[in-house]
Amino acid sequence: MKEQIFLGNEAVALGLLEGGCQVVTSYPGTPSSEILPGVVRLVKSEGLNTYTEWSTNEKVALDNAFAAAISGKRAACCMKQVGLNVAADSLMSAAYLGTVGGLVIISCDDPGPHSSQTEQDTRLMARLAKVPVLDPSGPEEARAMARIGLEISEEFKVPVILRPAIRVCHARQNLSFEPLKSNETKAAFEKDPTHWAATPRFRFLLHKELNKKLDEISRRLEDLEGINRHNLEPGKTYPLGIVAGGIPYAVVKDILKEEKRTDIPVFKVGCPYPFPERLAEQFLSACEKVLVIEETDAVIEYFLRDRGKVMGRLSGHIPSEGELMPQVVHGAMDRALKELGLPPLGEGNRAEAAALMNQLELPIRRPTLCPGCPHRASFFAIRKSRPKAIFTSDIGCYTLGLNLGGVDTVLDMGAGITMASGFYHAYRQDGIEQPIVATIGDSTFYHSGTAGLLNAVYNDARFVLVILDNQITAMTGMQPTPSLGIRADGSKGNTIPLEKVVAGCGVNFIEEVDPYDLAAMSALVKKAAEYTMEPSGGIAVIIARHPCVIAYREQVLQGRKSVTVTDDCVECNFCLERFECPALYHDDGIGHTAVDQALCIGCGVCLNVCPKGAIVEV
Amino acid sequence: MENMNIVLCGLGGQGILFMTKMLAQTALGKGIPVMGAETHGMAQRGGSVVSHLRLGEVEGSLVRAGTADILLALEGNEAYRSLPYLGRGGRMYANASPEVFPGPEVKPYLEKHDMICRCTDAGRVAMEHGSPMSSNLALIGFFSAFDEGPFTFTDLRDTIERISPAKFKETNLKIFDACHQAGVGG
Repeated sequence: MKEQIFLGNEAVALGLLEGGCQVVTSYPGTPSSEILPGVVRLVKSEGLNTYTEWSTNEKVALDNAFAAAISGKRAACCMKQVGLNVAADSLMSAAYLGTVGGLVIISCDDPGPHSSQTEQDTRLMARLAKVPVLDPSGPEEARAMARIGLEISEEFKVPVILRPAIRVCHARQNLSFEPLKSNETKAAFEKDPTHWAATPRFRFLLHKELNKKLDEISRRLEDLEGINRHNLEPGKTYPLGIVAGGIPYAVVKDILKEEKRTDIPVFKVGCPYPFPERLAEQFLSACEKVLVIEETDAVIEYFLRDRGKVMGRLSGHIPSEGELMPQVVHGAMDRALKELGLPPLGEGNRAEAAALMNQLELPIRRPTLCPGCPHRASFFAIRKSRPKAIFTSDIGCYTLGLNLGGVDTVLDMGAGITMASGFYHAYRQDGIEQPIVATIGDSTFYHSGTAGLLNAVYNDARFVLVILDNQITAMTGMQPTPSLGIRADGSKGNTIPLEKVVAGCGVNFIEEVDPYDLAAMSALVKKAAEYTMEPSGGIAVIIARHPCVIAYREQVLQGRKSVTVTDDCVECNFCLERFECPALYHDDGIGHTAVDQALCIGCGVCLNVCPKGAIVEV
Repeated sequence: MENMNIVLCGLGGQGILFMTKMLAQTALGKGIPVMGAETHGMAQRGGSVVSHLRLGEVEGSLVRAGTADILLALEGNEAYRSLPYLGRGGRMYANASPEVFPGPEVKPYLEKHDMICRCTDAGRVAMEHGSPMSSNLALIGFFSAFDEGPFTFTDLRDTIERISPAKFKETNLKIFDACHQAGVGG
């Protein structure tokens, strides 16, 4: 038996392997990114035969895992909650078709949101697809549910969703585990085209089968110890009970323990769909009122039928957006108790602390691109050479280009390109040639750039597309991309150069530049823009290539330049506002801009930024 | 031992995750169950980063505002920002100059709630040892002088020796020791 501190996502990885998972696919996205690396580490340390891959996007990941599952193997795919949107087409159909081996889809939610476009709730996606969903309250339970998910999936031949929220994914907890063994089940796909390639007439029958499975699963889960449970004492009635799932359940349990409250029963909903109707009925009939505490949307609350008893999001007792931090839950419980005339919890020093924070007026720390980040150089050059352009951009570190005025729009993965063509045609219709510069990262381009680029070329849109190629998926923690040709387990795959993909999409203007060379980058953006305006021109693609300063630190630090700011600085703040490097700051002591040597990595790009030439090499 | 709630804060890139790991490993080494919460993703790019660590039998990974026993801050303003986490009688350890920290607008609040503030210029010590990014180790060294719960000087030092990458081990221990002395002396 070994004991280690596991990140929640690593606990999910452990649970999958304890459940004999043979195939794990994923596309990285916060807060899900550490699951697959966790699987890879355990596969290596325990000598397992599990196949792992970083897929090019979430739909690709799910389709691959699905094929493994219907060949009889146990499979899983991991993604963030908005990634499940990309995989939704696959999910809805997979629910009808069902599986042979177990298939768990892990979709990690991001209440807050901390690192996502939306706070959407995966449990609703599970309801839409009509597949069971398990909602863990901590790493240990996430581990157990990953294994149970595989078992239930295989027993009922239906995909199961596990939805750990960010505070489960990025929690740390000590866990013990026994040595793991490989699952030796062999692939054995049995042909049955009327099922696996079902036409609409048969899909109706499959839908009927799915509904039947859900009824059975609901009954099965009621026998499964602990997934759904309440702590009512037989025959006793209560003025207030709490219904909770996921992280809020853990928070409620802690609060009740810390406040020494034994008068409030709790109903834990670990599987909100299919909903545990029988337990819910028991709980509601024993409580005069129930307070529902769940993240992120109202789901359990909608399933509780006796509306007159239910307090929650819909009745305004729980905030409708944002994360349910423990102090938020504490406040909501306190208000509910007061409203019902029950002993309250008290407010502690909340009000005083809030007043102090208001008084202090602390600076807001927005995230910024790292010192030396090649994206900063790209955005600076783009904005300088095309100041009047609309800047469509995409999802990744480079979203932070908005701090430099180089990003006007961010919609979803791939929209840097699709919105550029959309803007082009919207203006073109009015006879206006609106300059547009689109930016997209290398990994995002492989994820969902090509369909948009094919469409734009086909429909003769005109814009400059800058692919920001830092040779890594940086924001989510340095995963490799297809252009590197390194696979999830570190082994060698095949490299697919960006240039070839872009050329394959029908683009005839493809040029590479190192954005650290601001003059060359600016000149190339101008040249590319001219090409887009020529009658025989088209879309111009610039590949701005420079390695990420975090992923390739050693390599980057080799050409280090030592930089300082001279007294020629006139405090115009141009560099602070337009270049926005964290290593440049206003030094009140010397009375002008200075370089923070602890942060500066010596990229030297700022040497060409100051209008007065006050940033110099020493 | 009673449960202990710890909040660690600073800016992305200051090594808060490593600092949390040092404490968590030390506690686990003494057989204490650990539960924690970290910040990953976009906020790591220079934004405010808060990490939670809870020792003992707990369910949730987050420290509730007003219940932290200990606040470890790698930057002065971030210390203020996370101050609402600290509970009555809590101790704040900050990488900040004792001459200017805590500010006059904060002192009455600390006094009223019996909170203790201990600060040291950990960043400067790290810089003097040629390792400007190691203010996290410096602050832990300072913290080790005050015997908080399971975090004795010897145990913390052993953890650093065990989990530091080989090429940084010597410098890490030097920085830790230097700030421990500052804590003992102050």
